[in-house]
Amino acid sequence: MDQLQQFVRKGKLYTYILLVLANALLICVWWISSELCGWSLTVTLLLLAVAAFVLPLFVVRIVSTIFIQPLKFVWQAVLYIAPETTSVAAPEIHNVRYAQELVTNLVNHIYRLADVATEVASHTTDEAASLEHNFIANNIPLPLVVLSKDETILFANEALLEYVEAKREDAFGQSVYSRLDLAFESNDTLDTWLKEAKEKHVTATRTWERVRLTLPGEGQPKTKLLDLVAYYNKENPAGYETMLILFDHTKSYSQDDQAISFVALAVHELRTPLTMLRGYIEAIEEDLNGKISNELSGFLQKTQAAAGQLATFVNNILNVARVEDDQMVLNLQEEKWQDVLPATIEELKIRAEVRGITIKASVEKDLPNVGLDQVCMYEVMSNLIDNAIKYSGDAKEVIITSKLSKEGLVETTIQDKGVGIPESAIPYIFDKFYRDHHNRAQIGGTGLGLFLCKTFIKAHGGNIWVHSKEGEGSTFGFTLVPYKDLAEELKTDNNESITTNAHGWIKNHSLYRR
Amino acid sequence: MEESASQKNGKKILCIEDELFIGELYSRALQKAGYEVTVELDGQKGLELAQTNRFDIILLDLMIPTITGIDVLRQLRDPAKTPKLKAKIIITTNLEQRDEIKADIESQADGYIVKANITPRELVEFLGSID
Repeated sequence: MDQLQQFVRKGKLYTYILLVLANALLICVWWISSELCGWSLTVTLLLLAVAAFVLPLFVVRIVSTIFIQPLKFVWQAVLYIAPETTSVAAPEIHNVRYAQELVTNLVNHIYRLADVATEVASHTTDEAASLEHNFIANNIPLPLVVLSKDETILFANEALLEYVEAKREDAFGQSVYSRLDLAFESNDTLDTWLKEAKEKHVTATRTWERVRLTLPGEGQPKTKLLDLVAYYNKENPAGYETMLILFDHTKSYSQDDQAISFVALAVHELRTPLTMLRGYIEAIEEDLNGKISNELSGFLQKTQAAAGQLATFVNNILNVARVEDDQMVLNLQEEKWQDVLPATIEELKIRAEVRGITIKASVEKDLPNVGLDQVCMYEVMSNLIDNAIKYSGDAKEVIITSKLSKEGLVETTIQDKGVGIPESAIPYIFDKFYRDHHNRAQIGGTGLGLFLCKTFIKAHGGNIWVHSKEGEGSTFGFTLVPYKDLAEELKTDNNESITTNAHGWIKNHSLYRR
Repeated sequence: MEESASQKNGKKILCIEDELFIGELYSRALQKAGYEVTVELDGQKGLELAQTNRFDIILLDLMIPTITGIDVLRQLRDPAKTPKLKAKIIITTNLEQRDEIKADIESQADGYIVKANITPRELVEFLGSID
């Protein structure tokens, strides 16, 4: 900066001197013309005018040379190193007359910058062109692949080649889609994402889980399960547009696979009664040419029962999904429990009867009317009765009792005399997907039924519990709230119905009505 | 079919199936086709039966009490635990599996049947076809 200040100061001084000299020359012209030569005023003025026009020309020329020439050299140096201008020659520094030191310095700086830029560029291009020489890329224990703009493999590290069991020459230059047979869980795949990224983004990243990679090969195809991370950068030098990193999870994901998924269980449960239905219907068809025997009418009953089970289970699946999505809305109507309960038991008793189990029900008369959603309460009873039948073991009796509790609630219990529940399992029995490990081996089921019972009873404002002893049986109980108490509690404006969802009360409102 | 229904074909089938009704349906249909059928509800007992008796065909459910069908299958295919097993093992299940596991089970079994997809009569036909 000192040099620049010096240069500017010098420039100013020269300019000042030049202007003073120019003025002195004008005075000289006037003096010579009028005093020395005695020319007329007209001639003198004419001479002065000529001098006034000519002298500044010199001044401007000299001043501009002082200031412009160094700039010109610097400019030439910049152009010389600029990549897009190839025809500009290097400035010849020794020709610099003004501010030589400053210009030489500046030009040298520019050249140094150019060198650095070239060095950086050479690093990027050279090493990008041969990433295999890059220590990190090849030694990082993660399979990594770099794609060009047309989605061919520009580079794949050693870890990737090993992972996909490919040789360099088989992978490099190949389309990523032909080389890596990737299957995604949804339609949102690598190619659709890349297409979108190319259209809309400069950079983008994306992760997919549980991607399945199938390796080509003879015999049984090998598959791997992995998480895939993609990084896209439109402006990456040398066309290295997309990078993919593969995180292998084959082991853990296969273990998950072995743990039966919810859907698998659901399908299994749907298929079991379906299998029976098909079997019995076939049995009836086969023997239809004979008379309907007791056995066959029994089969018909069983078919009915199986259809009922299937319906309950399908409802359970649907209801769990609805509860989870917060879509479950209950419409509590004022009902007589002493009418609803026996009717429900009547519908469900066939399931017990086909297993040789009798349901004994006793409902106290004069129970207060309760607020309930009939559809949901049918599911509750159906699940609790199915449960009692399932866990009855050799016992042949299920006892259902309904009475008014001390707290003024309508209390219903379903008692079996079967296998019972271990004490350790009782706190979790209403949890979703919970099934006692001990019983798991012996009794089919998915652990949805009791979860739904609890959800529905809670949504009715009631409570659900279980008393059980291993080997002696279990008693499930729940309470329903008298309708007038519900209505009062909610201070609802109309007494026709109360609406609630699975997670709590909603004030009665037409929006929430089903 | 009807004429030959009660004629014994001399073949013995072990049906390891914990769902009573399915066991009933299968044994009814198979007995009509002339098979001698033993239905066993329990995995461990089924395994022991298979190891100590000579069956021609074993129908094996996967979701069964005490030990799973997959464990029964492994032990039946292990020559150290079950030497000289003559029976053909047919998996009969309604459990949906991931492909890899299914492939693994299928590679060890002589047949793999989704129960809901076939009727007992079709099962009989299938067993006749694999002989």
